[in-house]
Amino acid sequence: MSGSDYNKDGGEAAEGGGFVPSRRTVLVLGAAAASTVITVRPALAQTAGSVLNCEIPVPGPHAGGNYIAPDGNLVAPGTPGAAPPMARALRGEEARQLLRGQTPPGVAPQSAQAYANYIRRLQSGMSGFTCYASLQMPR
Amino acid sequence: MAGPLYTTDPSGAIHALALDGLSVLFHAPSGMTHIVASPAPEILAALRQGPADATELLRRLGAHFDVEGDEAEGAIHARLDELEAAGLVSRAA
Repeated sequence: MSGSDYNKDGGEAAEGGGFVPSRRTVLVLGAAAASTVITVRPALAQTAGSVLNCEIPVPGPHAGGNYIAPDGNLVAPGTPGAAPPMARALRGEEARQLLRGQTPPGVAPQSAQAYANYIRRLQSGMSGFTCYASLQMPR
Repeated sequence: MAGPLYTTDPSGAIHALALDGLSVLFHAPSGMTHIVASPAPEILAALRQGPADATELLRRLGAHFDVEGDEAEGAIHARLDELEAAGLVSRAA
């Protein structure tokens, strides 16, 4: 990289990123196609992305086939008023919506409350708990 | 004056560290960190004097530097576009 030589020639890095040379130097603007800016994704943004993409199976593998009562408890398959198991795991973003009382696409509205309460009842060691805990962390 | 006017954040909003020809800029308003090469820091410094279009920016840079480039106008537009995409520069209202 060529340019103003502001480091070597006594230029100063002024507060706020302004660079003014102490003596006149050459400034190469570069080719139009050459990039001079690389943005570093902050670790926090990556964490946020991974949280929203983590998964919560409803119910977990330990209870495959069981239905979920409106209060979130597992009940026998076919129990009246209970929600059937979800065909796929919920993503973190979908779980977040359920916990807010919303119904994400692909979730039956009459089952949303049961799924939300199941998630709230997750405990350490249960599949999806880490994802649920991550959703509770302030960002 | 032709073309859009560009502006940048006040000096206190961007914290800079020069690293052997590259500069690391922390943009406080967005919380983003950028690694930039010359002439990006020089363009930001020139814009800190006030909003400017590409022509005025070249004039300001020319006051301190011998600006090289056969197509300076095209190159400065390219630099402004990438600085704008990074959020370090914006178009003045």
